[in-house]
Amino acid sequence: MRSTTVSATKPAPELAVLREPLREIGGVQVLAGLTAALSWLEANQQEINDLNVFPVPDGDTGSNMYLTLRSSVEEARDAPTPEAADSVLAAAAHGSLMGARGNSGVILSQILRGFAQGSAQRVQLDARGVALAMTEASAVAYRAVMKPTEGTILTVVRDAAAAAAAAAATTEDIRVVLDRLVTEAHAAVERTTNQLQVLRDANVVDAGGFGLAVILEGFARAVGDTQPAAPAPALIRRSGEPALHLPPNPGDMEATGSAVARRGAAAVAPREQGWGYCTEFLISGPGLDVDAIRTELSALGESALVVGDADLVRVHIHTGDPAGLIAAASSRGRMSKLNVEDMSAQHHDVLERADAREAQAEASGAAAREQPEAPPKPIGVASVAPGEGFREIMGSLGADSIVSGGQTMNPSIEDLLNGVRAVNAEHVILLPNNGNVILTAEQVDPLAEDCEVRVVPTRNLPQGITALLAFDPSASLEENCDRMLAAIATVRAVEVTHAVRDTSVNGHDIKLGDVIAVVDDVITEVGSDYLEVIDAVLNAETVKPELVTVYRGQEVSADDAEAMVASLHEKHPGTEFELQTGGQEHYPYVLSLE
Amino acid sequence: MHVVPLIVRFGDEQYRDGVDIDPDQFYARLQETDVHPTTSQPSPDVFATLYKTLLSDPQDQVVGLHISSKLSGTLQSASLAAREFDSGRIHLVDTESVSGGLQLLVRAALDDIRSGDTAAVVAEKATRRRGRVTIVVLLDTLTYLHRGGRIGRAQAFVGSLLNVKPLIAVRDGEVVPLARPRSRAKGIEMIVEQVRSCAPLRSLAEFHAAAAESMVDLEARVGAAVSNVTAVLGRIGPVVGAYSGPGGLGVACLGAD
Repeated sequence: MRSTTVSATKPAPELAVLREPLREIGGVQVLAGLTAALSWLEANQQEINDLNVFPVPDGDTGSNMYLTLRSSVEEARDAPTPEAADSVLAAAAHGSLMGARGNSGVILSQILRGFAQGSAQRVQLDARGVALAMTEASAVAYRAVMKPTEGTILTVVRDAAAAAAAAAATTEDIRVVLDRLVTEAHAAVERTTNQLQVLRDANVVDAGGFGLAVILEGFARAVGDTQPAAPAPALIRRSGEPALHLPPNPGDMEATGSAVARRGAAAVAPREQGWGYCTEFLISGPGLDVDAIRTELSALGESALVVGDADLVRVHIHTGDPAGLIAAASSRGRMSKLNVEDMSAQHHDVLERADAREAQAEASGAAAREQPEAPPKPIGVASVAPGEGFREIMGSLGADSIVSGGQTMNPSIEDLLNGVRAVNAEHVILLPNNGNVILTAEQVDPLAEDCEVRVVPTRNLPQGITALLAFDPSASLEENCDRMLAAIATVRAVEVTHAVRDTSVNGHDIKLGDVIAVVDDVITEVGSDYLEVIDAVLNAETVKPELVTVYRGQEVSADDAEAMVASLHEKHPGTEFELQTGGQEHYPYVLSLE
Repeated sequence: MHVVPLIVRFGDEQYRDGVDIDPDQFYARLQETDVHPTTSQPSPDVFATLYKTLLSDPQDQVVGLHISSKLSGTLQSASLAAREFDSGRIHLVDTESVSGGLQLLVRAALDDIRSGDTAAVVAEKATRRRGRVTIVVLLDTLTYLHRGGRIGRAQAFVGSLLNVKPLIAVRDGEVVPLARPRSRAKGIEMIVEQVRSCAPLRSLAEFHAAAAESMVDLEARVGAAVSNVTAVLGRIGPVVGAYSGPGGLGVACLGAD
């Protein structure tokens, strides 16, 4: 096991600056620095890849930067005058341009090119020369980009260059200059999170900027055998379980001991911070206290989203301790749909969402959005649904808020009003999804002071889902209502249930307990089992449906539903069947015919 | 005309699109591997080398028509390389387009060159023409677009628990969601509607990613809807295929001047 205490025979890292000043470096030291930078980059390549949150070209920042720098180092090794700094740097610059890949690689190549330009005609670089070259590196990098964006590798190179210039004004020791440069580079990387919305939303640092800081650190270590005077405060904040990703450099490790470990941890720290496990589950009631659950569970992780009602609460939390979270939640009610994912494995999916609110809506699935402080979006949807399955499906299709209720439990106006408020949008489309809810829904608009509410009169769940599928968040309220109205005309709904009493309707004699099919509000078929009745409904359709989606109710088992759908498929080979879990009460099957 | 290939990678293996790998090989590879392919713009050096060859005669000029800068850094590489040459000799255009749409713009530009336009005029016409390109693509899944980070506003379509066939468009250089038909047949109908709404057409391209059967259907339906233009038929190449995924099917229309 490697000791973390500093060997007595070696100078303590804090004393590095007290050693004989390093006044000049030549080609050999520059090449050693570049070589070390490459191994640092290689060791952190995957971390950098994993940070890549931008939906812009080209995917793998770490790999692209690594391949770019590798090409640079390969050419620098063959520099015509290996002892001359300018010769090695010119070769490195050329090599990097040859091998540049991806945006970060291209910018890195421009940084190297600027550094080489700033070192032209210098066989040896002094402290001021290093600072000057960095300043040129920054300037060339900025010129290379058509629309420079702050919070990227550009910001990091500029801030690092400024720190180097400031240091060079007060010292001739290249070690000190590089110390300051590296410290500032890492600090600048930390700051990127707050400079770009997409990074802030994802709570990560910029990948390219981090890659550059890693390169600078590797370079500085080999050239100056140097340490930053003190770690930046942000790095302390992000310290934790140190995950060492150090290049093999035993001498360096031995010489600098714990400080190396800290810097190494810092190099990978941004990934460590705030990711952990994305944990999602449902808690079923009755009698759940949403606020109390939220207070308790939010304390156990980050990005907590705890929403729902007395019967069902949906939880989405990023936590380092999923087991503790699950233990706390299970004391509140029955847990289901538990899903724990290591975010390092799924972070691309999570982080690439440019819009945090979208991400939240999706993560919350069928539940209302929180964050009252967020500004309202232009348009959103509130939808009424019974059953967990329908809530989830509607959430996945973009409903911002789901109001519980439907066939057997019609929501109140207040329920609907609360659902509409939870959308937090200037315009809200309300989908009642039940003939008995439409009128209630139409009362909501005058009561909703902060938003305009429009009801698209969906009479059943298949219509509600079809309306949601037609929703376009970039279109206006009018356009969306028109699209939805047109869409719901293309779907037929079949609701299958049991007769609750003897009666006679539409020429059908119906006995208590008979299976009946209601097609668009009209009882069309009566029989003794589900398959028989549904088959009869499909046979009676004048236009054969292309697609039938079967939503299984609470009282039907998955196996029974699968068996029934398989039989339907056999009887209607030209039609595609899709089975979904609706979870609705009292209606064993709801079908949509398209 | 010179085609500078983008690069597609499976892990450490990299291939130049259309040079080292063709669509058949690519989609076959995509089916058999768990490795998600990634792509890269060409390096500036590749452009620099090409420009050097093309500009050896001091009279010559270059028009570069490139993939939307919102989807690829190709234009960035090209403009970096172009900096090393006399300004005014290289005319670069952000076509705000990709795949079949880019192809239609290149064909139109070749027509302009044949009719004697100067490089500057060819580039200017291409820039004006890009606003009349419509690209509509029906996907089997958004997985590839999402994982590749090019999903743009079609993000809104991600996560559906229902089986949908996302219909997307490339508008102003980026991916936007159009509709979520629940079947391929319905999706093809929607594509035809989009083609109709672009009339009158100058040219039309139809393309697919390992979806030859649906392509036959698309050809027939578009052919019935549009009679005065002969469609250019093609495949979605490896680099774009890495984002469309197999099963992608679409059209590009260029409205008449």
